[in-house]
Amino acid sequence: MIKLSQINKRYPNGHEALKDVSFDVAQGEMVFLAGHSGAGKSTLFKLITRIEKPTSGQLFVDQQNVSRMRDSKVALLRREVGVIFQDHKLLMDRTVFDNVALPLIVIGMPHDEIKKRVRAALNKVGLDGKGGQKPVTLSGGEQQRVGIARAVINRPNILLADEPTGNLDETLSDEIIDIFADFNRVGVTVLIATHDLRQVERLGKRTLHLEHGELIGDYRHASSGSQTSMKNTDEARTDG
Amino acid sequence: MGSYFARHVQVFLATLGDMVRTPISTINTVVIIAITLLLPSLLYVVIKSSQGLSDGWQGRPQMSVFLQKQVSASEAKQIFQEIQLHPSIELAEFITPQQAIEEFRLLSGSVSLDEELAFLGTNPLPPSIVLMPNKAAAKAESLNELKEQLEKFEGIDTIRLDLDWTERFNAILNVLTRIGLLLSGLLAMALVLIVGNTIKLLIHNRRDEIEITKLVGGTNTFVRRPFLYYGTLFGLFGALVSLVFLLIAANLVEQPLSKLASVYQRQSLLHEIQAMEVLCIIAAGAMLGWLSARWSVAQHLWKIKPS
Ligand SMILES: Nc1ncnc2c1ncn2[C@@H]1O[C@H](COP(=O)(O)OP(=O)(O)OP(=O)(O)O)[C@@H](O)[C@H]1O
Ligand SMILES: [Mg+2]
Repeated sequence: MIKLSQINKRYPNGHEALKDVSFDVAQGEMVFLAGHSGAGKSTLFKLITRIEKPTSGQLFVDQQNVSRMRDSKVALLRREVGVIFQDHKLLMDRTVFDNVALPLIVIGMPHDEIKKRVRAALNKVGLDGKGGQKPVTLSGGEQQRVGIARAVINRPNILLADEPTGNLDETLSDEIIDIFADFNRVGVTVLIATHDLRQVERLGKRTLHLEHGELIGDYRHASSGSQTSMKNTDEARTDG
Repeated sequence: MGSYFARHVQVFLATLGDMVRTPISTINTVVIIAITLLLPSLLYVVIKSSQGLSDGWQGRPQMSVFLQKQVSASEAKQIFQEIQLHPSIELAEFITPQQAIEEFRLLSGSVSLDEELAFLGTNPLPPSIVLMPNKAAAKAESLNELKEQLEKFEGIDTIRLDLDWTERFNAILNVLTRIGLLLSGLLAMALVLIVGNTIKLLIHNRRDEIEITKLVGGTNTFVRRPFLYYGTLFGLFGALVSLVFLLIAANLVEQPLSKLASVYQRQSLLHEIQAMEVLCIIAAGAMLGWLSARWSVAQHLWKIKPS
């Protein structure tokens, strides 16, 4: 579903955010992306959604060569990939409903259908009855969930979540991650960037470990908490 | 297809709503556009009206024959009849001193003239005859010949030959038309700059919205659509307001013009604006607005990239 081969990303200021990163995520997988702050997690997501272009290397999303993709095709790519952004990226002067509906509005869905879907999505993330409010009147955790509702509203094949539990307490974090697990159970490919090793261990999913732009580990945590390294055993670390 | 149409209606209504929500800046822009469109339309009406004025003369020169002041009314009548019989003359009109003073009063716009006339005691203007020679005699040589012949008439004081009055008039109109076209071009450019700049500010104000819309899969076409509606609506409303201005201007000059018109035995000198011309002004406004938005969007929208 997502395939990177020898991806390098150097920002215009010369900073090398990703160095020779290669991995493969199969359809229907749920994968955590771990690593210290500045390791390159968000950069990786930006490459997948063509917010940034790789400096070199090949990147495929659902068979499409994203690194070579024409600008006019980028919108279609983004409709296929739901993203929860680290900084939410909500429209503060619009209602929660408008924010969540945006991906459906851009594809021209009829209004009645939009209403139904938005209501269902808000229900799924526990924001029933908050559709008419502005995001500023919501707590950080609630805003986070507005972002999640927007990311899943168009039923994407791929979900990217950048630090989705950053502002949340343990119970709420668990709930949010469980929502992603639910989507994963019905076949959605899920990638979650996080510092939250508790979640990584709780679910026992595959984890990609980035450090200073390099992929230093690709392993699976057993649900119990003990780990089984599958690759780069000698370099693998669990602490960010 | 139905949903495509519905989407456009939605954007149209949303844009209209946004314009209403920022009334001051909307009114500012619309009025500036209206004034920009008003100037060429005003000039157009003036040129059209003037053309109507000269059409009556069909490009024929005119000759004014002033009789001597001491000529009596009956003598004047006789001279007029004789002149009318001349084979080179197609049309002749007798103007009494009273008619002459009336025309003078209207053209000068003087109200105090009555007092001055009372002071003079008598009407200082002589009776006169306005002639239009027929086609055959309308050449400079034949006209001079005709003038010489008429000068021999008893009771005639002076003859003024407006050799190429209409030619000159038409030449002036031609110059005016060109100035009008030039001015229209310049003002259209000004309009594009004004609307373009307004759209640029709008794009800037909606930076976040544009970025986020692109992030969730909005195409460039989708993102730019509201701005194109903005431009078109600005132009459309500007044109409508400029028509209102035009009507007000027409009403202001109607009264003094109608007096002048009565001298020329006409209903009105003012060019009456046709439905087609109204449509043209509206279409021009909308088109220019759309064009400005296209131009502005092409310049500024692509710079906004999500990060
Ligand atoms: N637009 C940019 N221009 C220059 N450098 C950048 C840019 N964006 C990110 N970087 C740098 O690239 C590195 C990786 O950044 P990135 O945002 O991918 O880290 P991250 O793993 O998401 O960190 P965090 O956990 O804090 O969100 C950082 O050192 C950052 O300073
Ligand atoms: Mg980040």
